Amino acid sequence: MPFLAETAAGIPDISEQVLWAILCAPLIAWAIIVAGGRKYPTIAGYLAIGGVGAACLLSYITLFNVMDADGGIVKYTHEWFAAGPLVVDLGVRVDGLTAVMLVVVTSVSLLVQLYSTGYMDGDHGEGRYFAHMCLFTFSMLGLVLADNLFQIFVFWELVGLCSYLLIGFWFHKPSAAAAAKKAFIVTRIGDLGLLAALLLIFRETGQFDVGVIQEWAKNPATDGTLVTLFALGLFAGAAGKSAQFPLHVWLPDAMEGPTPVSALIHAATMVAAGVYLVARFFPVFEASPDARDVVAWIGATTALLAATIAMVQTDFKRVMAYSTISQLGYMMMALGSLGYVAAIFHLFTHAFFKASLFLGSGSVNHSTNTFDMRKMGGLKPHMPITYWTFMIASLSLAGIFPLAGFWSKDEILLDAWRNDTGLWAVGVAVAFMTAFYMFRAIFLTFHGEYKGGEPVDHHDEDSHFHGDPAHPHESPWVMTLPLIVLSVPAIMAGWFAYDHMFANFINHALPELPHHEGSSFEIGIAVSSTIVALAGIGAAYAIYMKRWVTSESIRETFAPLAIIFENKYYLDKLYEDVLVTRVFHRGWNRLLEANDRYVVDGIANGSARIARQASLRFRTLQTGQIQSYGLGIAAGVVVIVLAVYSANPL
Amino acid sequence: MPELTVLVFLPAVAAAVIMLLPRSYEQYAKWVALAASIAILAISIVMFFSFELHADGYQFVERHQWVDVGQFQLQYFLGVDGISMPLVVLTTCLTLASVLVSFGISNRPRAFFACMMILASSVLGVFVALDFILFFLFWELELFPMFLLIAVWGSGRKEYSATKFVLFTITGSAFMLVGILVLAFSANTFDIEVLGKAQFNDPLIPLGWVFLFLVIGFGVKLPIFPLHTWLPDAHSDAPTGVSVMLAGVLLKMGGYGIIRMCVTMMPDVARDWDVWFALIGAVSILYGAFVTLRQTDMKRLVAYSSVSHMGFVLLGIGALGTTGLVGATYQMLAHGLITGLMFVVIGLMYERTHTREIARLGGLARQMPLIATGMVFAGFGSLGLPALAGFIAEVTVFLGTFERFEWAVLASIFGVVLSAGYALWMLQRVVFGPVKHDWDGVTDQHHWWEHAVVAGLVALVILLGVYPKLMTDMIEPAVTTVVGRVES
Repeated sequence: MPFLAETAAGIPDISEQVLWAILCAPLIAWAIIVAGGRKYPTIAGYLAIGGVGAACLLSYITLFNVMDADGGIVKYTHEWFAAGPLVVDLGVRVDGLTAVMLVVVTSVSLLVQLYSTGYMDGDHGEGRYFAHMCLFTFSMLGLVLADNLFQIFVFWELVGLCSYLLIGFWFHKPSAAAAAKKAFIVTRIGDLGLLAALLLIFRETGQFDVGVIQEWAKNPATDGTLVTLFALGLFAGAAGKSAQFPLHVWLPDAMEGPTPVSALIHAATMVAAGVYLVARFFPVFEASPDARDVVAWIGATTALLAATIAMVQTDFKRVMAYSTISQLGYMMMALGSLGYVAAIFHLFTHAFFKASLFLGSGSVNHSTNTFDMRKMGGLKPHMPITYWTFMIASLSLAGIFPLAGFWSKDEILLDAWRNDTGLWAVGVAVAFMTAFYMFRAIFLTFHGEYKGGEPVDHHDEDSHFHGDPAHPHESPWVMTLPLIVLSVPAIMAGWFAYDHMFANFINHALPELPHHEGSSFEIGIAVSSTIVALAGIGAAYAIYMKRWVTSESIRETFAPLAIIFENKYYLDKLYEDVLVTRVFHRGWNRLLEANDRYVVDGIANGSARIARQASLRFRTLQTGQIQSYGLGIAAGVVVIVLAVYSANPL
Repeated sequence: MPELTVLVFLPAVAAAVIMLLPRSYEQYAKWVALAASIAILAISIVMFFSFELHADGYQFVERHQWVDVGQFQLQYFLGVDGISMPLVVLTTCLTLASVLVSFGISNRPRAFFACMMILASSVLGVFVALDFILFFLFWELELFPMFLLIAVWGSGRKEYSATKFVLFTITGSAFMLVGILVLAFSANTFDIEVLGKAQFNDPLIPLGWVFLFLVIGFGVKLPIFPLHTWLPDAHSDAPTGVSVMLAGVLLKMGGYGIIRMCVTMMPDVARDWDVWFALIGAVSILYGAFVTLRQTDMKRLVAYSSVSHMGFVLLGIGALGTTGLVGATYQMLAHGLITGLMFVVIGLMYERTHTREIARLGGLARQMPLIATGMVFAGFGSLGLPALAGFIAEVTVFLGTFERFEWAVLASIFGVVLSAGYALWMLQRVVFGPVKHDWDGVTDQHHWWEHAVVAGLVALVILLGVYPKLMTDMIEPAVTTVVGRVES
């Protein structure tokens, strides 16, 4: 069975101006808001919707043009600056992969902006909020449109900046300020790898162009070790942004930001940047089996680790956060198993249902003033739209036929099966846990008795909560509309798998089509994963709905495990208390500082002191008595005469 | 038209005018200084844009016989090339900035602004002088106003810091003078242009020592590890405007000197010693950053971060290639603007809160949003965020040096994480967090000049971050000439 259309792709008919306009529309909105719109939050919201909306519209036009050309490549490049052999370009490149990413980023972003006009209404910094959101959309678009690695790195870091600004949006909260810093620094540790990869590729090829790098990787003359190193460098960067173990610790804390931010950055787009990066340079990973193994197993580890933690969270939003990490691990596992299409397909479907889940949790928070599931319950009758959209997205995430998540998750499990059954087993275990924690969250939040939410603190001038948590209510239409809209792709986005439509479209972004055997659907894999997902839902139903078994008794049985999960495997403690505080701040850094103060500066001050002491001694020689000077002169003459005489005896 | 002479001596003339003001008119001192700084900024910008990008050698040259005693031939010889032209513009920009942030000075304003003007003259003189003795005179002249500015208008242990600054620099200068004299008498000329093309083939000339002596002289200024300990003291005790000049411009005299004198005049020695540049550069980057992470005083923190950032200059020079040298020069510009901005905002905060202790500050984004925004820009600039000037410099240095000294670059890139650590740590403690009621009445206080300085510097930091061609096209040809010397 032919996996791919044999016809070569054409060149999409898109003018350069359109592509730059996609990039610049949110930037212009940002500039206007910064210049004067901050004081008029309503207008700032409209500007943001307008800017992102324009980019969204143009993205769809681009998508259809690229579809006409079967996912072919078009690029436009200009020189940015040069210094000797270093020539850095600024360009845009569009192919199937880019077009998909453009549509995902702008669609989710547009819905999130709309939602935000309701969610953020009345906040102190609403204008600033929309400015940051526009800048974020701009950075993410720049990242996916970039035609070279240098430019990707530039926008990559800008995405990091925006996440810093948005996570720390409520900067007066110490936890938010700390979370923002943590996110930036942890992702920057990963960026070291990306930077090293950038240096390596410049030394090897003298260029940064995506096409050149792809050619370099699959050229048989290239040193395989270098390809592996380059791939691992890229993956280190991707692991930071896409929250892969051991750099995943920033993402749960990032929930300190406003919830729509979580939907945009921490579900649908920014964390997708890492997956996108690996996919963009997929030929490099294809050429390096070692790097691929690392990617696959790190992905599997991450998926499992995050899913186990998600099962014991009491914070509604943190369940989503760990779920995101887990699903990103899934995507990486697919990429490491040569599942380029599966990974991007899952990224595509996940973006919609995860955005819906985050926005849904924001809607719940809007009504109850809390994210603590122990204070919720019984919200279903009060918030029907939120409930049903949340249910659809959860079923999709759990991988229930025929929703979107089913198709993409299935492709991943199939690729994992073909690569290594161990990976597949991890994937299936994660599928069970995913279904379990999502439905645990649903039952705790929407079913049972309502426990009153969090009372409003009227002394907190920064809180803009209006309404009464004791009487939960459905959110306004600007917030429910995005939920309803997102439910459509959460149901149907998976159907693009039909007849390899999606695969054919994005495969042409690669210089060489991936080698695959067999179909992208196998009934055994599909049935087994569905059974497992249903089992997960059933377990959650038994424990949290019917209470046939109490969660406490399960916790008792697995006490050591539960404690490890609840403490997030003690990784935060290891990093913060041991590494940062003890090893560096109180250890190494203090040693160097002491060295600077007492040794380096000590030598300088010491030599000054010696000079001073010496002058004090020598000063006593200057007695002012002519006799003692005369004695000195006479002694000197004698010494010189003797010296000359002994050197040249008469 | 003698543009450079006007440029160099206009501030000195302004200093004379200021000193001649009667006491009852002393409040006009700042306006005279402001007028002079605007004038030199305008002149330098006109020169910048009329600079011939593709012409060889020095431009705006002025050359007159100065001293003519036998072998001792000195000239009054000024000129700029693609390396010094951007540094001249940096100097005039930061002179204007530091005059503006010093507008509130009420203690002996005439003497203060006269010193600032003499400082500007001497630094500009260093960057444009093409006679070695003339260069040295300007180099030494700068000490005198600087000493007074720190010792009289400073804070804390100001006399100690001022003396330390002078002693360190003078010690370096002593080495430098020996180097200059040996070099000049070996080549029979003090002409920097001629020396930059000379071949020293006589084995009797101790070129290695000359090189070392010059590097010590310039290295104290840069500063390089382990000659840097004067910097945190001088920085933290100097008044705001002076810190801006000190960090923004004076450190660059060191980097400029190493490129112009050491590398250009003695390329063979430079080639033998390049590994030391890379090593000391990498050590400065990492050591500076680690020590920065321990600082609790904002100004000391920025001072140590300067040690780290100046390490990039040395690392880039060590590459002895076009890319590395462009990066090194760019880093001097970027650091000048970013650290200048940082000192400006720290100074503005200090004026309002009278403390620089990070632990005592917090939540200032609420009380002074504009100054806080300036600090966020400076912080991200200093950690090398793309779209701000520092990124272009750092990444160019890395890319230029990687081929030659892989190990030094791979070690240095950890500085990128460390700089994120200290910059964001400071932002978190100073700007963000809960509002502290100690600072309840504190505001942005709307002095137009403060906003002008912050906005202007932020704009320049962004401009150099998004449009690097503006500078690289000018720097590259000049640097290529230097590299040509090294490679031949």
